[in-house]
Amino acid sequence: MDVGSIYLIVAFGLLILSAFKDIEKTKKALKVTSKVTLTVLPVLFLIFILMGIIEAFVSKEIIATWLGSGSGVLSIVIGEIVGCVALIEPAVVFPFAGFLHKSGANYGTVLGFIMTAILIGIATLPLELKLFGKRFTLVRNLLTFVLVFIIGIIFKVVHL
Amino acid sequence: MNNLKEALIYVVIALLIWGVVSIFSPSKGLVVGTVTYDGFAKAIKIIIAVFIIIGLIQVWVSPQTLSKILGKEAGWKGLLLASTIPIFIGGSLFTIFPLLKTLREKGASIASVMAFITAWGGKAPLLPLEIAFLGWKFAILRISFIIPFAIVMGLLSEFILEKWEHPEEVR
Repeated sequence: MDVGSIYLIVAFGLLILSAFKDIEKTKKALKVTSKVTLTVLPVLFLIFILMGIIEAFVSKEIIATWLGSGSGVLSIVIGEIVGCVALIEPAVVFPFAGFLHKSGANYGTVLGFIMTAILIGIATLPLELKLFGKRFTLVRNLLTFVLVFIIGIIFKVVHL
Repeated sequence: MNNLKEALIYVVIALLIWGVVSIFSPSKGLVVGTVTYDGFAKAIKIIIAVFIIIGLIQVWVSPQTLSKILGKEAGWKGLLLASTIPIFIGGSLFTIFPLLKTLREKGASIASVMAFITAWGGKAPLLPLEIAFLGWKFAILRISFIIPFAIVMGLLSEFILEKWEHPEEVR
């Protein structure tokens, strides 16, 4: 069984439990659920369309050539930038990171790519701005970028 | 219905972009459609589950309870909790953000929220995949960096944001 199904079973289990305990509260909870859905789903639709655009216009081989060539500390930054704009699912991040390493990218670059691909994304930016505001979004994304860079340097130096 | 209007704007923009690409290159338009479909197909179960849980949290968890666990008064314990538990949670930022918005409104501190997002990047559920493609040394090293990364992220971002919002208080 996939992770999604397990989540669904847990969620519906809790919902049924909630309904047994207090039907009015549960109705209220479902109202919240529908409101959140209406807020997030349209943004998600736009995000997926943008992901599709990148998939259609930028080939994986091109990205690999960009990343494989650099070797200095700057290569970590490049890895991070690519991670920020690479609109890929977490589950695809690792196979693609492996591909990058095979194409010649060092471990610092690979780490920079992985962490920013998971934690920063131009795709999720609209949603983050909408939910948390400008300051939160700016601080989180910039600080993540800087801290990942520092960890990237360690990964570059350590022999794995 | 302001919400509905906003929702509609996003959908119209997305359809416009997709439409323009499809007119100029039907094959690329098809790629865009496939990616969008796959994205929804993969995420929809988790999205529904998380949104149901958000609704339940909203009505069942009182702000007092939550801020005891993840609020400022929770102190180190709260931060440590927020820096470890999320490592084992799946899903994507799309599902994590709305969840954390709810927790934040209920009284979770900025440090907890920031640490939570960062720790979630540990992605322990994907560990087998990481080991397969990058080796176990890389995977272990990366995961072991996540907890300190999340703690530093939480503390530092809370400090910056508080200073930004109340410059005269923190001096």
